[in-house]
Amino acid sequence: MAQLTKRGVLAAVVCSDSFMKLGKAQAKVFGVPDLPLLEIKHPLGGLNMDKVRERAAVAMPQLLKFIKASREKTGSEQQS
Amino acid sequence: MSAITTLLQKPGALIECDDDPEAVFDLLCAKGWSDGLPVIPPTPERVARMLTYCDRDPGQPVIHVPPRFGAATPIRVAANAVMAGCKPEYFPLVLLALEALAEEQYNLYGTQATTHPCTPMLIFNGPVAKEIGLNSGHNVMGNYHRANAAIGRAVRLALVNIGAAIPGTGDMATAGTPAKFTFCVAENEAANPWEPLHVELGYPQDATTVTVVAAEGPHNVNDHESLSAEGILMMIAGTMATTGSNNAYYASQPVIAFGPEHAATVAAGGMSKAQVKQWLFDHATLPMSRWSPDNIARRFRRRQAEQYANAPLDTPIHMWAKPDDLIVIVAGGAGKHSQYVPTFGETRAATRPLKRADGELVKSIAELKRG
Repeated sequence: MAQLTKRGVLAAVVCSDSFMKLGKAQAKVFGVPDLPLLEIKHPLGGLNMDKVRERAAVAMPQLLKFIKASREKTGSEQQS
Repeated sequence: MSAITTLLQKPGALIECDDDPEAVFDLLCAKGWSDGLPVIPPTPERVARMLTYCDRDPGQPVIHVPPRFGAATPIRVAANAVMAGCKPEYFPLVLLALEALAEEQYNLYGTQATTHPCTPMLIFNGPVAKEIGLNSGHNVMGNYHRANAAIGRAVRLALVNIGAAIPGTGDMATAGTPAKFTFCVAENEAANPWEPLHVELGYPQDATTVTVVAAEGPHNVNDHESLSAEGILMMIAGTMATTGSNNAYYASQPVIAFGPEHAATVAAGGMSKAQVKQWLFDHATLPMSRWSPDNIARRFRRRQAEQYANAPLDTPIHMWAKPDDLIVIVAGGAGKHSQYVPTFGETRAATRPLKRADGELVKSIAELKRG
Protein backbone atom coordinates (compact mmCIF):
# COMPACT_ATOMS: atom_id res chain seq x y z
CA MET A 1 0.00 0.00 0.00
CA ALA A 2 2.88 2.33 0.75
CA GLN A 3 4.28 1.72 -2.72
CA LEU A 4 0.91 2.34 -4.35
CA THR A 5 0.49 5.57 -2.38
CA LYS A 6 3.92 6.77 -3.44
CA ARG A 7 2.95 6.11 -7.07
CA GLY A 8 -0.13 8.29 -6.70
CA VAL A 9 -2.66 5.49 -6.49
CA LEU A 10 -5.38 5.89 -3.88
CA ALA A 11 -4.68 3.22 -1.30
CA ALA A 12 -5.93 2.40 2.17
CA VAL A 13 -5.42 -0.42 4.66
CA VAL A 14 -8.15 -2.19 6.60
CA CYS A 15 -6.83 -2.50 10.14
CA SER A 16 -8.44 -3.99 13.23
CA ASP A 17 -8.44 -1.83 16.35
CA SER A 18 -5.91 -4.06 18.14
CA PHE A 19 -3.41 -3.44 15.35
CA MET A 20 -3.86 0.31 14.90
CA LYS A 21 -0.65 1.20 16.74
CA LEU A 22 1.33 -1.17 14.55
CA GLY A 23 -0.41 0.14 11.43
CA LYS A 24 0.33 3.77 12.24
CA ALA A 25 3.94 3.00 13.14
CA GLN A 26 4.46 1.04 9.92
CA ALA A 27 2.90 3.78 7.80
CA LYS A 28 5.51 6.16 9.20
CA VAL A 29 8.33 3.65 8.69
CA PHE A 30 7.37 3.22 5.04
CA GLY A 31 7.19 6.96 4.45
CA VAL A 32 3.42 7.35 4.13
CA PRO A 33 2.37 8.64 7.57
CA ASP A 34 -1.02 9.75 6.24
CA LEU A 35 -1.90 6.37 4.77
CA PRO A 36 -5.57 5.88 5.65
CA LEU A 37 -6.23 3.05 8.08
CA LEU A 38 -9.82 1.87 7.89
CA GLU A 39 -10.45 0.83 11.47
CA ILE A 40 -12.62 -2.18 12.17
CA LYS A 41 -13.28 -4.16 15.31
CA HIS A 42 -10.83 -7.00 16.08
CA PRO A 43 -10.68 -9.82 15.07
CA LEU A 44 -10.97 -10.29 11.34
CA GLY A 45 -9.73 -13.89 11.31
CA GLY A 46 -12.02 -16.74 12.31
CA LEU A 47 -15.30 -14.96 11.53
CA ASN A 48 -18.39 -16.19 9.78
CA MET A 49 -19.60 -14.25 6.75
CA ASP A 50 -22.17 -12.25 8.71
CA LYS A 51 -19.45 -10.90 10.99
CA VAL A 52 -17.23 -10.19 7.99
CA ARG A 53 -20.08 -8.19 6.40
CA GLU A 54 -20.51 -6.23 9.64
CA ARG A 55 -16.88 -5.19 9.49
CA ALA A 56 -17.14 -4.35 5.80
CA ALA A 57 -20.09 -2.12 6.63
CA VAL A 58 -17.88 -0.26 9.11
CA ALA A 59 -14.94 0.00 6.72
CA MET A 60 -16.86 1.05 3.62
CA PRO A 61 -18.00 4.53 4.81
CA GLN A 62 -14.43 5.26 5.88
CA LEU A 63 -13.23 4.26 2.42
CA LEU A 64 -15.83 6.40 0.64
CA LYS A 65 -14.99 9.36 2.89
CA PHE A 66 -11.31 8.96 2.01
CA ILE A 67 -12.02 8.74 -1.73
CA LYS A 68 -14.30 11.78 -1.61
CA ALA A 69 -11.74 13.82 0.34
CA SER A 70 -9.00 12.82 -2.08
CA ARG A 71 -11.11 13.87 -5.09
CA GLU A 72 -11.96 17.21 -3.51
CA LYS A 73 -8.30 17.81 -2.77
CA THR A 74 -7.32 16.91 -6.33
CA GLY A 75 -10.07 19.17 -7.72
CA SER A 76 -9.02 22.16 -5.64
CA GLU A 77 -5.39 21.64 -6.64
CA GLN A 78 -6.35 21.59 -10.33
CA GLN A 79 -8.37 24.83 -9.96
CA SER A 80 -5.58 26.71 -8.14
CA MET B 1 38.49 10.13 15.72
CA SER B 2 36.91 6.78 16.60
CA ALA B 3 33.44 5.83 15.43
CA ILE B 4 32.18 5.91 19.01
CA THR B 5 33.59 9.40 19.60
CA THR B 6 31.89 10.57 16.42
CA LEU B 7 28.63 8.96 17.45
CA LEU B 8 28.72 10.51 20.91
CA GLN B 9 28.82 13.97 19.36
CA LYS B 10 25.34 13.47 17.95
CA PRO B 11 22.51 14.93 20.04
CA GLY B 12 20.92 12.32 22.29
CA ALA B 13 23.66 9.75 21.78
CA LEU B 14 24.85 10.01 25.36
CA ILE B 15 22.52 10.00 28.34
CA GLU B 16 23.67 11.06 31.80
CA CYS B 17 22.45 8.98 34.72
CA ASP B 18 23.27 8.38 38.36
CA ASP B 19 26.07 5.88 38.72
CA ASP B 20 23.84 3.39 40.45
CA PRO B 21 22.63 0.06 39.02
CA GLU B 22 19.03 0.62 40.05
CA ALA B 23 18.96 4.13 38.61
CA VAL B 24 20.38 2.90 35.31
CA PHE B 25 17.89 0.05 35.16
CA ASP B 26 14.99 2.36 35.98
CA LEU B 27 16.07 4.76 33.26
CA LEU B 28 16.42 2.06 30.60
CA CYS B 29 13.05 0.53 31.50
CA ALA B 30 11.44 3.96 31.36
CA LYS B 31 12.91 4.42 27.88
CA GLY B 32 11.66 0.98 26.85
CA TRP B 33 15.21 -0.25 26.24
CA SER B 34 15.10 -3.51 28.14
CA ASP B 35 13.64 -6.98 28.26
CA GLY B 36 12.47 -6.36 31.79
CA LEU B 37 15.55 -7.83 33.44
CA PRO B 38 18.51 -5.84 34.83
CA VAL B 39 21.24 -4.95 32.37
CA ILE B 40 24.88 -3.88 32.38
CA PRO B 41 24.97 -0.11 31.68
CA PRO B 42 26.27 0.41 28.12
CA THR B 43 28.87 3.08 28.85
CA PRO B 44 31.06 4.29 25.95
CA GLU B 45 34.03 2.46 27.46
CA ARG B 46 32.17 -0.83 27.67
CA VAL B 47 30.78 -0.47 24.15
CA ALA B 48 34.28 0.24 22.82
CA ARG B 49 35.58 -2.83 24.62
CA MET B 50 32.75 -4.95 23.17
CA LEU B 51 34.07 -4.10 19.71
CA THR B 52 37.49 -5.61 20.45
CA TYR B 53 36.73 -8.67 18.33
CA CYS B 54 34.79 -6.89 15.59
CA ASP B 55 36.53 -6.45 12.25
CA ARG B 56 33.62 -4.53 10.69
CA ASP B 57 33.20 -0.80 10.23
CA PRO B 58 31.49 0.02 13.54
CA GLY B 59 29.29 2.68 11.96
CA GLN B 60 28.04 0.72 8.95
CA PRO B 61 24.75 -1.18 9.37
CA VAL B 62 25.01 -4.94 9.34
CA ILE B 63 21.27 -5.22 8.83
CA HIS B 64 18.16 -3.09 9.16
CA VAL B 65 15.86 -4.56 11.75
CA PRO B 66 12.11 -4.55 11.13
CA PRO B 67 9.48 -3.47 11.94
CA ARG B 68 11.17 -0.08 12.47
CA PHE B 69 13.99 -1.02 10.05
CA GLY B 70 16.46 0.49 12.47
CA ALA B 71 20.09 0.41 11.39
CA ALA B 72 21.94 -2.29 13.30
CA THR B 73 25.46 -0.89 13.26
CA PRO B 74 28.11 -2.75 15.22
CA ILE B 75 28.14 0.12 17.73
CA ARG B 76 24.43 -0.17 18.38
CA VAL B 77 24.55 -3.95 18.52
CA ALA B 78 27.54 -3.70 20.87
CA ALA B 79 25.52 -1.52 23.24
CA ASN B 80 22.88 -4.23 23.34
CA ALA B 81 25.53 -6.91 23.81
CA VAL B 82 26.92 -4.99 26.80
CA MET B 83 23.44 -4.72 28.27
CA ALA B 84 22.88 -8.45 27.77
CA GLY B 85 26.06 -9.39 29.65
CA CYS B 86 28.19 -10.52 26.70
CA LYS B 87 31.95 -10.83 26.82
CA PRO B 88 33.69 -9.15 23.85
CA GLU B 89 34.59 -12.63 22.55
CA TYR B 90 30.89 -13.37 22.10
CA PHE B 91 30.22 -10.33 19.97
CA PRO B 92 31.10 -11.76 16.50
CA LEU B 93 28.52 -14.50 17.10
CA VAL B 94 25.86 -11.92 17.96
CA LEU B 95 26.54 -10.08 14.71
CA LEU B 96 26.60 -13.36 12.78
CA ALA B 97 23.18 -14.31 14.15
CA LEU B 98 21.74 -10.94 13.16
CA GLU B 99 23.14 -11.34 9.64
CA ALA B 100 21.48 -14.73 9.37
CA LEU B 101 18.18 -13.28 10.59
CA ALA B 102 18.36 -10.74 7.77
CA GLU B 103 18.27 -13.43 5.10
CA GLU B 104 15.01 -13.15 3.21
CA GLN B 105 13.84 -16.69 3.72
CA TYR B 106 13.86 -16.24 7.49
CA ASN B 107 11.09 -13.62 7.21
CA LEU B 108 12.28 -11.43 10.08
CA TYR B 109 9.58 -8.85 9.45
CA GLY B 110 6.83 -11.42 9.78
CA THR B 111 8.37 -13.17 12.76
CA GLN B 112 8.92 -9.93 14.63
CA ALA B 113 5.37 -8.64 14.29
CA THR B 114 3.31 -11.85 14.29
CA THR B 115 0.77 -12.93 16.89
CA HIS B 116 2.51 -16.35 16.92
CA PRO B 117 4.90 -17.08 19.83
CA CYS B 118 8.11 -17.38 17.86
CA THR B 119 11.62 -16.12 18.52
CA PRO B 120 15.02 -16.76 16.94
CA MET B 121 16.47 -20.08 18.04
CA LEU B 122 20.22 -19.80 17.50
CA ILE B 123 21.98 -23.09 16.80
CA PHE B 124 25.77 -22.83 16.78
CA ASN B 125 28.20 -25.37 15.38
CA GLY B 126 31.95 -25.50 15.12
CA PRO B 127 35.12 -24.70 17.04
CA VAL B 128 34.44 -21.10 18.04
CA ALA B 129 31.18 -22.10 19.72
CA LYS B 130 33.15 -24.49 21.90
CA GLU B 131 36.02 -22.04 22.39
CA ILE B 132 33.87 -19.29 23.87
CA GLY B 133 32.03 -21.68 26.17
CA LEU B 134 28.64 -22.18 24.56
CA ASN B 135 26.88 -24.99 26.36
CA SER B 136 25.82 -28.02 24.34
CA GLY B 137 25.29 -30.40 27.25
CA HIS B 138 23.07 -30.57 30.32
CA ASN B 139 20.34 -27.90 30.41
CA VAL B 140 21.34 -26.76 26.91
CA MET B 141 18.05 -24.91 26.42
CA GLY B 142 17.88 -23.66 29.97
CA ASN B 143 19.61 -21.17 32.22
CA TYR B 144 23.05 -20.81 33.80
CA HIS B 145 25.62 -20.69 31.02
CA ARG B 146 26.70 -17.15 30.30
CA ALA B 147 27.46 -17.48 26.59
CA ASN B 148 24.10 -19.08 25.78
CA ALA B 149 22.18 -16.66 27.96
CA ALA B 150 23.97 -13.50 26.86
CA ILE B 151 24.30 -14.14 23.12
CA GLY B 152 20.64 -15.03 22.75
CA ARG B 153 19.66 -12.12 24.96
CA ALA B 154 21.82 -9.67 23.01
CA VAL B 155 20.07 -10.66 19.79
CA ARG B 156 16.67 -10.27 21.43
CA LEU B 157 17.59 -6.86 22.86
CA ALA B 158 18.74 -5.73 19.42
CA LEU B 159 15.44 -6.88 17.92
CA VAL B 160 13.57 -4.82 20.51
CA ASN B 161 15.80 -1.76 20.86
CA ILE B 162 16.87 -1.39 17.22
CA GLY B 163 13.92 -3.04 15.48
CA ALA B 164 11.18 -1.83 17.85
CA ALA B 165 9.70 -5.27 18.45
CA ILE B 166 7.81 -3.77 21.35
CA PRO B 167 4.83 -5.73 22.67
CA GLY B 168 1.56 -4.28 21.45
CA THR B 169 3.06 -1.96 18.86
CA GLY B 170 5.75 -3.85 16.94
CA ASP B 171 5.57 -7.32 18.45
CA MET B 172 1.95 -8.42 18.32
CA ALA B 173 2.46 -11.86 19.92
CA THR B 174 -0.73 -12.97 21.58
CA ALA B 175 1.14 -14.57 24.46
CA GLY B 176 4.79 -14.78 23.38
CA THR B 177 7.14 -17.34 24.86
CA PRO B 178 9.74 -17.45 27.67
CA ALA B 179 12.20 -18.27 24.88
CA LYS B 180 12.04 -14.58 23.93
CA PHE B 181 14.49 -13.82 26.71
CA THR B 182 17.11 -16.02 25.07
CA PHE B 183 17.15 -19.22 22.99
CA CYS B 184 20.70 -20.09 22.07
CA VAL B 185 22.28 -23.54 21.90
CA ALA B 186 25.37 -25.25 20.60
CA GLU B 187 25.01 -28.66 19.00
CA ASN B 188 26.57 -31.46 21.02
CA GLU B 189 28.83 -32.58 18.20
CA ALA B 190 30.85 -34.93 20.39
CA ALA B 191 27.71 -36.91 21.24
CA ASN B 192 26.30 -36.82 17.73
CA PRO B 193 26.29 -40.23 16.01
CA TRP B 194 25.53 -38.52 12.68
CA GLU B 195 27.16 -35.61 10.91
CA PRO B 196 26.62 -32.29 12.72
CA LEU B 197 24.22 -29.78 11.22
CA HIS B 198 26.81 -27.53 9.59
CA VAL B 199 28.55 -30.48 7.91
CA GLU B 200 25.20 -31.78 6.66
CA LEU B 201 24.66 -28.33 5.14
CA GLY B 202 27.99 -28.48 3.30
CA TYR B 203 30.32 -26.54 5.58
CA PRO B 204 33.69 -27.90 6.70
CA GLN B 205 33.85 -29.54 10.11
CA ASP B 206 36.10 -26.73 11.35
CA ALA B 207 33.74 -23.95 10.23
CA THR B 208 31.76 -22.12 12.88
CA THR B 209 28.18 -21.49 11.86
CA VAL B 210 24.93 -20.22 13.20
CA THR B 211 21.58 -21.56 12.04
CA VAL B 212 18.59 -19.43 12.94
CA VAL B 213 15.10 -20.86 13.24
CA ALA B 214 11.92 -18.90 13.97
CA ALA B 215 11.01 -21.17 16.82
CA GLU B 216 8.44 -21.80 19.46
CA GLY B 217 9.77 -22.90 22.82
CA PRO B 218 10.89 -26.53 23.00
CA HIS B 219 8.37 -29.33 23.57
CA ASN B 220 9.75 -32.23 25.60
CA VAL B 221 9.72 -35.86 24.45
CA ASN B 222 10.09 -38.19 27.43
CA ASP B 223 10.94 -41.77 26.53
CA HIS B 224 12.58 -43.89 29.22
CA GLU B 225 11.29 -47.20 27.92
CA SER B 226 11.94 -47.65 24.21
CA LEU B 227 14.85 -49.91 23.40
CA SER B 228 14.72 -49.59 19.61
CA ALA B 229 15.13 -46.83 17.03
CA GLU B 230 11.52 -47.20 15.94
CA GLY B 231 10.34 -47.00 19.53
CA ILE B 232 12.14 -43.70 20.17
CA LEU B 233 10.99 -42.26 16.86
CA MET B 234 7.41 -43.35 17.48
CA MET B 235 7.35 -41.33 20.72
CA ILE B 236 8.89 -38.32 19.00
CA ALA B 237 6.43 -38.51 16.13
CA GLY B 238 3.59 -38.59 18.62
CA THR B 239 4.84 -35.38 20.22
CA MET B 240 5.28 -33.69 16.85
CA ALA B 241 1.78 -34.48 15.59
CA THR B 242 -0.43 -31.77 17.03
CA THR B 243 -3.35 -29.88 15.52
CA GLY B 244 -2.36 -26.46 16.87
CA SER B 245 1.00 -26.29 15.13
CA ASN B 246 1.71 -23.82 12.32
CA ASN B 247 3.93 -26.49 10.82
CA ALA B 248 0.93 -28.49 9.64
CA TYR B 249 0.05 -25.76 7.15
CA TYR B 250 3.32 -24.30 5.86
CA ALA B 251 6.47 -25.50 4.13
CA SER B 252 8.57 -24.93 7.21
CA GLN B 253 11.49 -26.52 8.99
CA PRO B 254 10.85 -27.63 12.55
CA VAL B 255 13.73 -28.90 14.69
CA ILE B 256 14.18 -32.15 16.53
CA ALA B 257 16.98 -31.88 19.07
CA PHE B 258 17.77 -35.43 20.05
CA GLY B 259 19.09 -35.97 23.53
CA PRO B 260 22.38 -37.87 23.15
CA GLU B 261 20.93 -41.08 24.63
CA HIS B 262 17.96 -41.08 22.29
CA ALA B 263 20.28 -40.32 19.36
CA ALA B 264 22.55 -43.21 20.30
CA THR B 265 19.63 -45.65 20.46
CA VAL B 266 18.32 -44.54 17.08
CA ALA B 267 21.76 -44.64 15.44
CA ALA B 268 22.46 -48.06 16.97
CA GLY B 269 19.36 -49.23 15.14
CA GLY B 270 21.20 -48.48 11.92
CA MET B 271 19.29 -45.37 10.93
CA SER B 272 21.02 -42.53 9.11
CA LYS B 273 19.94 -38.94 9.58
CA ALA B 274 18.12 -39.02 6.25
CA GLN B 275 16.27 -42.17 7.29
CA VAL B 276 15.31 -40.55 10.58
CA LYS B 277 13.84 -37.60 8.69
CA GLN B 278 11.88 -39.87 6.36
CA TRP B 279 10.57 -42.03 9.22
CA LEU B 280 9.41 -39.04 11.22
CA PHE B 281 7.84 -37.41 8.16
CA ASP B 282 5.90 -40.60 7.44
CA HIS B 283 4.73 -41.13 11.03
CA ALA B 284 4.27 -37.60 12.44
CA THR B 285 0.82 -37.30 10.95
CA LEU B 286 -2.75 -36.90 12.07
CA PRO B 287 -5.90 -37.75 10.13
CA MET B 288 -7.66 -34.63 8.88
CA SER B 289 -10.63 -35.62 11.04
CA ARG B 290 -8.66 -34.52 14.14
CA TRP B 291 -9.11 -30.88 13.15
CA SER B 292 -12.33 -29.03 13.92
CA PRO B 293 -15.00 -28.94 11.19
CA ASP B 294 -14.32 -25.23 10.58
CA ASN B 295 -10.60 -25.88 10.21
CA ILE B 296 -11.27 -28.72 7.79
CA ALA B 297 -13.63 -26.56 5.74
CA ARG B 298 -11.57 -23.37 5.74
CA ARG B 299 -7.92 -24.32 6.29
CA PHE B 300 -7.81 -27.50 4.25
CA ARG B 301 -10.69 -27.78 1.80
CA ARG B 302 -10.75 -24.09 0.78
CA ARG B 303 -7.21 -22.74 1.23
CA GLN B 304 -5.46 -25.91 0.10
CA ALA B 305 -8.17 -26.98 -2.30
CA GLU B 306 -5.83 -28.57 -4.82
CA GLN B 307 -4.69 -31.07 -2.22
CA TYR B 308 -7.66 -31.47 0.11
CA ALA B 309 -10.89 -30.27 -1.56
CA ASN B 310 -12.28 -33.77 -1.84
CA ALA B 311 -9.89 -35.69 0.37
CA PRO B 312 -11.41 -38.23 2.77
CA LEU B 313 -11.34 -37.37 6.47
CA ASP B 314 -8.76 -40.05 7.22
CA THR B 315 -6.23 -38.37 4.92
CA PRO B 316 -2.94 -38.08 6.84
CA ILE B 317 -1.78 -34.51 7.46
CA HIS B 318 1.99 -34.25 7.65
CA MET B 319 3.63 -31.87 10.09
CA TRP B 320 6.01 -30.43 7.49
CA ALA B 321 6.08 -30.41 3.71
CA LYS B 322 9.10 -32.53 2.70
CA PRO B 323 11.03 -35.14 4.71
CA ASP B 324 14.36 -33.34 4.38
CA ASP B 325 12.93 -30.11 5.76
CA LEU B 326 13.17 -31.43 9.31
CA ILE B 327 16.27 -30.06 11.06
CA VAL B 328 17.96 -32.78 13.12
CA ILE B 329 20.50 -31.90 15.78
CA VAL B 330 21.84 -33.50 18.94
CA ALA B 331 21.83 -31.37 22.07
CA GLY B 332 21.82 -31.84 25.82
CA GLY B 333 23.35 -34.13 28.41
CA ALA B 334 22.54 -37.49 29.94
CA GLY B 335 18.91 -38.51 30.22
CA LYS B 336 16.08 -39.91 28.16
CA HIS B 337 14.64 -36.71 26.77
CA SER B 338 14.60 -35.00 23.37
CA GLN B 339 13.16 -31.65 22.34
CA TYR B 340 10.81 -30.88 19.49
CA VAL B 341 10.85 -27.26 18.37
CA PRO B 342 7.96 -26.20 16.10
CA THR B 343 8.26 -22.98 14.14
CA PHE B 344 6.40 -19.93 12.89
CA GLY B 345 5.65 -21.77 9.66
CA GLU B 346 6.11 -19.06 7.05
CA THR B 347 9.86 -19.10 7.49
CA ARG B 348 12.93 -21.04 6.44
CA ALA B 349 16.06 -21.52 8.49
CA ALA B 350 19.17 -19.55 7.53
CA THR B 351 22.77 -20.61 8.14
CA ARG B 352 25.87 -18.41 8.00
CA PRO B 353 29.53 -19.21 8.60
CA LEU B 354 31.78 -17.03 10.76
CA LYS B 355 34.29 -15.40 8.43
CA ARG B 356 36.99 -12.77 8.70
CA ALA B 357 36.80 -9.58 6.67
CA ASP B 358 39.07 -11.24 4.07
CA GLY B 359 36.49 -14.02 3.58
CA GLU B 360 38.44 -16.78 5.33
CA LEU B 361 36.68 -18.99 7.86
CA VAL B 362 37.43 -18.11 11.46
CA LYS B 363 39.02 -21.06 13.25
CA SER B 364 39.61 -19.25 16.56
CA ILE B 365 38.06 -16.12 17.99
CA ALA B 366 41.58 -14.75 18.57
CA GLU B 367 41.84 -14.18 14.79
CA LEU B 368 39.33 -11.38 15.10
CA LYS B 369 41.03 -9.50 17.92
CA ARG B 370 41.98 -5.99 16.94
CA GLY B 371 45.08 -4.07 18.04
